[in-house]
Amino acid sequence: MKKNSAFSRFFTVLVFLFLYAPIILLIVFSFNQNNSNVVWGGFSLHWYKELFHNRIIMRSLYTTLLVSLLATVISTIAGTFAAIGFYGLRRRTRSALNTVNNIPMVNADIVTGVAMCLFFVAFFALWKDFALWVNSVQSLFVLPTRLTLGFPTLLIAHITFNIPYVLLSVSPKLRQLDKNLIDAAQDLGCTWFQAFYKVILPEIKPGIVSGALTAFTMSIDDFIISYFTAGSSSSTLAMTIYGMTKKRVSPEINAISTLLFVTVILLLAVINIREAQQEKAAARREAAPSATVAEMAGSRPRRTPLPVKAAAVAACVAVLATTAVGAFQNTRKPMVNVCSWGEYIDEALISQFEEETGILVNYQTAESNEALYSLLKSGAGDYDVIVPSDYMISQLIEEDMLEKLDYNNIPNFSLIGDQFKNLPYDPTNEYTVPYTWGTVGIIYNTAMVEEPITSWSAMFDDKYAGQVLMFRNSRDAMATALLYLGYDINTTDEAQLRQAAELIADAKGRGVYQAFVMDEIFLKMEGGNAAIGAYYAGDYLTAVENNPDLAFVIPEEGSNWFVDAMCVLKDAPHKAEAEAWINFIASTEANLANMDFIWYASPNEKALAEYPAYYEELYGEPLEQEVYEIIAAPAEVLERCESYISLPKETRQLYNELWIGLGIQ
Amino acid sequence: MSKELIRLSDCVVKYDDEIILDHLNLYINDKEFLTLLGPSGCGKTTTLRIIGGFQKPTSGDVFFDGRRCNDVPPHKRQINTVFQKYALFTHMNIFENVAFGLRIAKVPEADITRRVEEALEIVNLPGYGKRSVTSLSGGQQQRVAIARAIVNRPQVLLLDEPLGALDMKLRKDMQVELKRIQREVGITFIYVTHDQEEALTMSDTVVVMDKGNIQQIGTPEDIYNEPKNAFVADFIGESNIIDGTMPEDKVVKMYGKKFPCLDGGFAPNEPVDVVIRPEDIDIVSPEAGQITGTVTEVTFKGMHYDIIVDFQGFKWLIQTTDYSPEGARIGVKIDPDGFHIMKKSQYSGMFGDYSSYSEEYDELNVDPDAAEGDDEED
Amino acid sequence: MKRTKAFTIPYVIWMAIFVVAPIIMIVIYAFSGADGGFTLSNFSTMGDYTVVFVRSFRLAIIATVICLLIGYPVAYLLSKEGPRFQRVATVLIMLPMWMNFLLRTYSWMAILENNGLLNQFLGLFGLGPFQMIDTQGAVVLGMVYNYLPFMILPIYSVIVKLDNSLVEAAHDLGANSVVAFRRVIFPLSLPGVLSGITMVFVPSVSTFAISTMLGGGTEFLLGDLIEQQFLGGAYNPQLGAAIALVMMVIVVLCMLVMNRFGEGEEQAVVL
Repeated sequence: MKKNSAFSRFFTVLVFLFLYAPIILLIVFSFNQNNSNVVWGGFSLHWYKELFHNRIIMRSLYTTLLVSLLATVISTIAGTFAAIGFYGLRRRTRSALNTVNNIPMVNADIVTGVAMCLFFVAFFALWKDFALWVNSVQSLFVLPTRLTLGFPTLLIAHITFNIPYVLLSVSPKLRQLDKNLIDAAQDLGCTWFQAFYKVILPEIKPGIVSGALTAFTMSIDDFIISYFTAGSSSSTLAMTIYGMTKKRVSPEINAISTLLFVTVILLLAVINIREAQQEKAAARREAAPSATVAEMAGSRPRRTPLPVKAAAVAACVAVLATTAVGAFQNTRKPMVNVCSWGEYIDEALISQFEEETGILVNYQTAESNEALYSLLKSGAGDYDVIVPSDYMISQLIEEDMLEKLDYNNIPNFSLIGDQFKNLPYDPTNEYTVPYTWGTVGIIYNTAMVEEPITSWSAMFDDKYAGQVLMFRNSRDAMATALLYLGYDINTTDEAQLRQAAELIADAKGRGVYQAFVMDEIFLKMEGGNAAIGAYYAGDYLTAVENNPDLAFVIPEEGSNWFVDAMCVLKDAPHKAEAEAWINFIASTEANLANMDFIWYASPNEKALAEYPAYYEELYGEPLEQEVYEIIAAPAEVLERCESYISLPKETRQLYNELWIGLGIQ
Repeated sequence: MSKELIRLSDCVVKYDDEIILDHLNLYINDKEFLTLLGPSGCGKTTTLRIIGGFQKPTSGDVFFDGRRCNDVPPHKRQINTVFQKYALFTHMNIFENVAFGLRIAKVPEADITRRVEEALEIVNLPGYGKRSVTSLSGGQQQRVAIARAIVNRPQVLLLDEPLGALDMKLRKDMQVELKRIQREVGITFIYVTHDQEEALTMSDTVVVMDKGNIQQIGTPEDIYNEPKNAFVADFIGESNIIDGTMPEDKVVKMYGKKFPCLDGGFAPNEPVDVVIRPEDIDIVSPEAGQITGTVTEVTFKGMHYDIIVDFQGFKWLIQTTDYSPEGARIGVKIDPDGFHIMKKSQYSGMFGDYSSYSEEYDELNVDPDAAEGDDEED
Repeated sequence: MKRTKAFTIPYVIWMAIFVVAPIIMIVIYAFSGADGGFTLSNFSTMGDYTVVFVRSFRLAIIATVICLLIGYPVAYLLSKEGPRFQRVATVLIMLPMWMNFLLRTYSWMAILENNGLLNQFLGLFGLGPFQMIDTQGAVVLGMVYNYLPFMILPIYSVIVKLDNSLVEAAHDLGANSVVAFRRVIFPLSLPGVLSGITMVFVPSVSTFAISTMLGGGTEFLLGDLIEQQFLGGAYNPQLGAAIALVMMVIVVLCMLVMNRFGEGEEQAVVL
């Protein structure tokens, strides 16, 4: 056969380079000293050490491995039996079933995911009615009425999309089988089962193994289907990463991915080398026909050596055991499900709370208020405590989705400043305890603009064409335009709103905007990829740590100030634990820790006042007044600012319509 | 025969350390039906592939019509091949398969239609053009493969075990058919097979090969009647091969007795292999026999009996129409033309004893390095 | 093996519940209003999103074509290498799947940024900076990058199984390498090409996340649109189901039309 020319080799190498360049980059930056994935700060194993203390990553890694292993084992067994069953069917029936079998493979992942999500939620609704009825007619046992998306549904989804791959790799092996094999085995005295075990199974083993491997790979790599079926209580590594890509992928993820990747490479290398050696040995045996009896005995068909088998079995047992223990403990221990925003808590607080109270915290994040609302509505989110923003709170109260709090259980509520109580979203303060507050403003790169930015006009100015980042959520984006036009940010006037949308559309048409972003703004502003972007004050302070050229301004036209508050969902299964958590977070210590970590202002009066001292003690240098004022805007600034209130339904629909018209997500 | 068309000169093929062809010399005449015959792994297919241009010899030269053609790629040779498993293009119908070569040669469309039909007629598949390849039986696919090759009017047609996949009856028919086609198109056929009967039936010339060497070249009659060594004798038909000596010309000595024969030209008392074909042995009464033995096994074969007879510990196969019961003491008589005397060779002692009678040919693995180059050419 | 038929029963039940029933749910939702009654309004509102449909299909087609143009030669060249090289190479093609695709795409963000590695590199030669991220080109690149292995592997697995004597037969009948490729190898590798196209096109047209990450929020695709209706900012599962349904139908139609080209090839090709 002709060998490939140097040119074609070069082409192949180029393609491989294309496939591996991003991976190499990821691996390299997992050893980076700082947390950037663009700027090299020196070699360090820091993130590998951090990794093992990051409970969110470790827990999602555990979920990923567990669901992948379980799904692989179950779908391999089920798929193999199904393949054998298919093999015995008549051609017609078989091809009909094969078509159905192919659906999960041919269908787009998102359709499969969405379909399963809808199905589970519908099933849960039916189940609730059924369980209530069962519980009402008898008293021997009590059926749980409230089922939610979680690990079981995730596992079911994974099994469902894995079986077809197993089936597809086992079936050809069955077709290659000599149809008389089973007969021959039975003729020699085997029962049907023995024949299956001793003859069929070894013959189709390569198919089963490759099916299992494919299934495992698919499970590990899957994101989309998991995303729609895992609910809030379990999160795979891919889902955790997805949550992070919105903001900043912490280098610990690079580290864990590097570890996984290197493990797989090593495993594959070992397998490959072993196979190559076996092939060589086999070739040698063939070459020497005068093989002695001893050598012949050595040339038995290839088998997995015992240690490998034992290791595989041990691994499976270990995983199953930990699951069992874990599940047992989880059911025993009280717990609370919390949903907040990305990088919005000092994670040490979670461990501290768990130690102090013995209540386990399942900490989840959502992307935006709107996404949180969808999660709650679709049944994908099964939380006790959520931390929505003001306008979303009023909408949730309106739709009767929140539970009233028992403030007797939350003594720390008294520490909250009076100006943060009885706010318009919760006028009688029955549902909420404020978490943080902050302002919206413009972040800009002083090295990239000529004069300081002072007005919202910068968001619509041709001068900065291609350099401006606009909000990717309708409420905030429209607010920038409304403020610039001098209108109320809570306006319901259709003409004013249309004018604001027109302004954004016009600027978009003129190429002012580089992109519409949410937390991606960190990457872009820190990297100096964009000059101007509207975002939240606390996030500016995080960004400026990585790029000192950045500056923040609350424009002269005024701005939005917001409060995020903790609330408990209606019928939350862990209300007492939820209130304990809220009380803990409302304490002065927790507020100080949080403020230091996330740079958002605390509603706890004492904490807010003490923070500069706390900072000085912690870092040995005084907190600059300027920074403090960005965290906690002074009264004269707040005067210019206004908070969002929940808009009436018609206005919300108008927002939606205008937003679609802009062609932005 | 006519003029020489193809010559392989001192061709060697090696893979790593393994010698596939060992200094092979061979020429092939125009319009002859030449068969390369030998067990699997003997190098016959490699020889064919060298002629077809699919493989280059490690050393040595290939001449076509007097010109060296080592470096001429297959598509520029006036040679076409019928492949072992036909290698028909399943994505084309029969017509397109046959027309493939013509289209590439940019033959005008009208000619293509005519020539394809002609070719299909030659292989007895007229009007099959529209059908799909997969709808055909093995024998029909075979014919399409032949049509696809001959339609290009090559000077040489190479056939690589083309009948291997067919059943017995079909093979016999196709043998006759192939011979007819060869006469009709009047070109050189180079045919590879491991089936001696096929080789003897169809060929003008048979080339017997083993371990990368040519063992004998000759007409089918020559090969059968005058095998050059024990390998050829055993591979072509059934043979009893006995150690003997030649005390003088036309006299062979074995079992301590002298027998008249027709061969000569050996050194006095030279050790030789004596080949006696099973059908050349007459069974007579023990008294009338030149030597006597005991019948140990009798098998009814329809037209004759296969009888295994023990002559002083060496078992012979005799094919006869006369029945002799097991255990009977019989005498045998062999006419002088029944003896074929061969020089001793590396194969001496390996074949021709029916002590463990089996119709199967056992391929013996002997280190190829031990095989000496004893190329022969006629 | 008559008694083995019984083995199908559990899986058939499983498929009925977890494959067929969910798809029926999609259909039901697609034809329901927010109040649960029957309506066609979901399909009429979809008109607002025509631009998204067009964009999704256009980008997916471009990505598929590029994958084919890169993937086919790679698969073909690979099949001509030695067995050891082939084994290592096929593993190397699969291997990136072990690093999450979101992360790899995120890595592309760092490469393509205005101030990213590629622009910095080009800057060394006094070129650029070029606007690469937040463009349709970047989205297509993301698709090509993520789904290229799904094009290479099926094609490779078909080519590598091609009977070499067919190629030799073509040479024998006078075809040079180019003609042999065009007339024999390529037509015979079509089943692999078709399955590669399916395996690249379907995830490309329905992807989400890639477009958000590389397209700057303005190049959103059908996948993003559907996700927005379920778990994103615009809660409207009925509309989401309707979009998913329409997308599914269009994809199935595309596949049917395409399989017409490969008529008679019922051979399913997988990794």
